Amino acid sequence: MTMTDTICVGAIAGAFGVHGEVRLKSFTADPYAVGDYAPLTTEDGSRSFEIQILREIKNGFAAEVSGVTTKEQADALRGIRLFAPRDRLPNLPDDEYYHADLIGLSVFDTGGAPLGKVHAVHNHGATDLLELQVPGVSRTVLLPFTMAAVPTVDLTAGRIVADPPEGLFDEVQAPD
Amino acid sequence: MSRSVWKGPFVDSYVLKKAEKSRESGKNEVIKIWSRRSTILPQFVGLTFGVYNGHKHIPVNVSEDMIGQKFGEYAPTRTYYGHAADKKAKRK
Repeated sequence: MTMTDTICVGAIAGAFGVHGEVRLKSFTADPYAVGDYAPLTTEDGSRSFEIQILREIKNGFAAEVSGVTTKEQADALRGIRLFAPRDRLPNLPDDEYYHADLIGLSVFDTGGAPLGKVHAVHNHGATDLLELQVPGVSRTVLLPFTMAAVPTVDLTAGRIVADPPEGLFDEVQAPD
Repeated sequence: MSRSVWKGPFVDSYVLKKAEKSRESGKNEVIKIWSRRSTILPQFVGLTFGVYNGHKHIPVNVSEDMIGQKFGEYAPTRTYYGHAADKKAKRK
């Protein structure tokens, strides 16, 4: 199982104003959704925060955090990254996957030979692209996330079976 | 000022030739192109182009709603990773 238990959904950038509000940066697809995953925790899970978004401000949101009433307390939270449990994310229909679930999966070709690991997921306007880190090579390869190029995604086994189009791996095979 | 209609859409001739060759061969391959300025034509739908972004070729699967855009629009020249958070990817 490669799925992570928690995912980073936001961060506290510091105090906002002098009344104990914080400047909250959201990393979610819909920025307002960061409040829906509350209570959020720190990376090690030692602290938990109830968060209420108040309004949109430059570079994020003004938010109230439970137990924080002064600017000094808000300043002390600066730099804290906020995590939500993975199981709090809603289930998705078939053939739709969270980036967090795909990142880290091992990719094999149809013959079973390893192609690499998923390093990131991009979308430049056409199809989604899996960025593969090829073992022993510093350069990465982009694989279109289509039925033809990626016939199997097995999240429980932590593996993806790919049938990449010809010429996709030419650049990493050529000497740098 | 927009391009005159009588000229038709601009496409580098080598892109047309490569696309035609790939379609005839029927192979599942990435057509490497450097021409980011070429317009996406209806005959490119279903093909996969590797559009150069100055560093590497970005695979672009051409679909119907991309017709009339330029190839360069789908191969950004700067990389931004950001956070995965709750972002989703759909397999098409």
